Amino acid sequence: MKLWLPVAALVVALLVAAPSWLNGYYLNLLYITVLYVGLAYGWNIISGYAGYFSFGQIAFFGIGAYATGLIVVNLKWYWLLAALSGGVIACALSIPMGYVMLRLRGPFFAMGMFGLAQTSRVVITAIPATGGGSGLFLPPASDLRSIFYWTLAITVCAIALTAWIDRSAFGLRLQALREDEQVAGTLGINVTLEKMYAFALSALIPGLLGGGYAWFLTYIEPDAVFSPRLDLQSVVMAILGGVGTVWGPLVGGVLMTQIAEALWAKFPQVYLMIFGGLLVVLLIVLPRGIVPALVQRMRRTT
Amino acid sequence: MVLIAQLVINGVLLGGVLALSALGFNIIFGVMRVVNLAHGDFVVLSAVFCAFVFAQSNINPLFLLPLTAIAGFLFGAVVHRYLLRRLPGEIAKAEASSLTLTFGLSFLLAGAGLAVFGGNYRSVPYLTGAYHVAGLSIPQARLLAFGSALVLAALLGLFLRFTAIGRAIRATSQDVEGALACGIDADRVRTISFALGTAVATAAGALMSFIYNLNPQMGVLFTINAFAIVVIGGLGNYAGTIAGAVVLGLAQSFTSYFAGATLSEAAPYVLFILVSLFLPSGILGRRAT
Repeated sequence: MKLWLPVAALVVALLVAAPSWLNGYYLNLLYITVLYVGLAYGWNIISGYAGYFSFGQIAFFGIGAYATGLIVVNLKWYWLLAALSGGVIACALSIPMGYVMLRLRGPFFAMGMFGLAQTSRVVITAIPATGGGSGLFLPPASDLRSIFYWTLAITVCAIALTAWIDRSAFGLRLQALREDEQVAGTLGINVTLEKMYAFALSALIPGLLGGGYAWFLTYIEPDAVFSPRLDLQSVVMAILGGVGTVWGPLVGGVLMTQIAEALWAKFPQVYLMIFGGLLVVLLIVLPRGIVPALVQRMRRTT
Repeated sequence: MVLIAQLVINGVLLGGVLALSALGFNIIFGVMRVVNLAHGDFVVLSAVFCAFVFAQSNINPLFLLPLTAIAGFLFGAVVHRYLLRRLPGEIAKAEASSLTLTFGLSFLLAGAGLAVFGGNYRSVPYLTGAYHVAGLSIPQARLLAFGSALVLAALLGLFLRFTAIGRAIRATSQDVEGALACGIDADRVRTISFALGTAVATAAGALMSFIYNLNPQMGVLFTINAFAIVVIGGLGNYAGTIAGAVVLGLAQSFTSYFAGATLSEAAPYVLFILVSLFLPSGILGRRAT
């Protein structure tokens, strides 16, 4: 039954070896794929397990990117350390934000988070140190490989974290509050605390990834790192794979990044249209996502 | 004093047009509990279409308005009948999946608009002058859009209050089970409400073309405006929507003067978060049912 463990180890080993035999374009694509998968896993904790559907986790991605950029430019820290601090800063900021925002529910939380991300973008643009709308130039990046390894490490940790949450008492508490927050509260679960933990984890992951992205771009501007499209695309990936499952974001993320890339390369004019149409159709055909549908089918045949 | 009066006039004129679009959003949310993330894309697509036609053949958007409204009604009916209605019925999942579906629809519409009309900013250069009264300037195009929006909102209000379908819509939005017990076909009412909400959005879009310089990708701006207005005014509260729109219009006109255009972008988001935290039933305080 532990067959998946060697398979996972093999995949990770292949990914670690990948930069030495992939050329620039494919390494780029691989980086973007791993980034999206990581973002989808970040979102999956608060929205998939705890049921707080968020359209604004990109706020922490942007904060992480800007914190990293500012640290590198002003303090001249080693970039790995800067990216790590960026993630920690994003996570720390998420605690007061989550304390306020998690009082909202359902669509109010979803759109409130969208608003929070946009407000963060506006605030960052208004701070003179960030260069405002004209952006922030970083010293030229070290090679793509180290950025890729950083992103891969975070994404693998995010998957491991999700696998742990899925079978831990913490995960059960989150799922209980997802199904019915009041009942979960009467069962003695400190719902405020538990959802704050989930929210902080869902901020830490994009925060850390944002640091790597700042280095990938070497030039960060508010619209690029607070892009609603980046956020919503990663949400779509998690939904298509299966919300609140361990492997859903991976399957959805890998699949959708390749589809999006192929569409973008072949039909740039109608890319958005096809992407949107595909999402609508898949939701009707596979409302619960790919992974739950596969699991159900396998159970039926055995 | 003149400055304050001018800012108030700007805000109220803006609020009037935003109110119409938000009314459509509120009907859909009230009846179906669906947050329609494609709402703004309907608005923008209609506005861009009107500006496109105006540039080609000088047809006034006011004449195109009935056409865009009918097209919106039919499209909305199709979207509800063939897409939204097929989503799984479990309550916990339904909310998330309708959000995702309308989000996909928003991409689809923005992409279609981009493919057909291109990414250029478009507006209708019509009635570009302004009336000058007691040191205040009132742009003619804004006044026209404001007046038309008020007329349409009043017609919509009469429709909801006095027709059988309008009463069925309000009943379903207040209490689905009660409505079903009275023999209302809730499924049909939902289709009509979604179609009506979309028609109102596309009608509002025709008026927006007088005011805004738009491209097909700016829909999300109008979605968040409509959502913020509906939350400020109270969900399912149609009078509140008008009040909420005026509040948002004023907030935008004052913040853009005193804090600059960049910070005023955040006004709807901040208002939305504050009102949903502290006044969950809206500024008029009537509990929505």
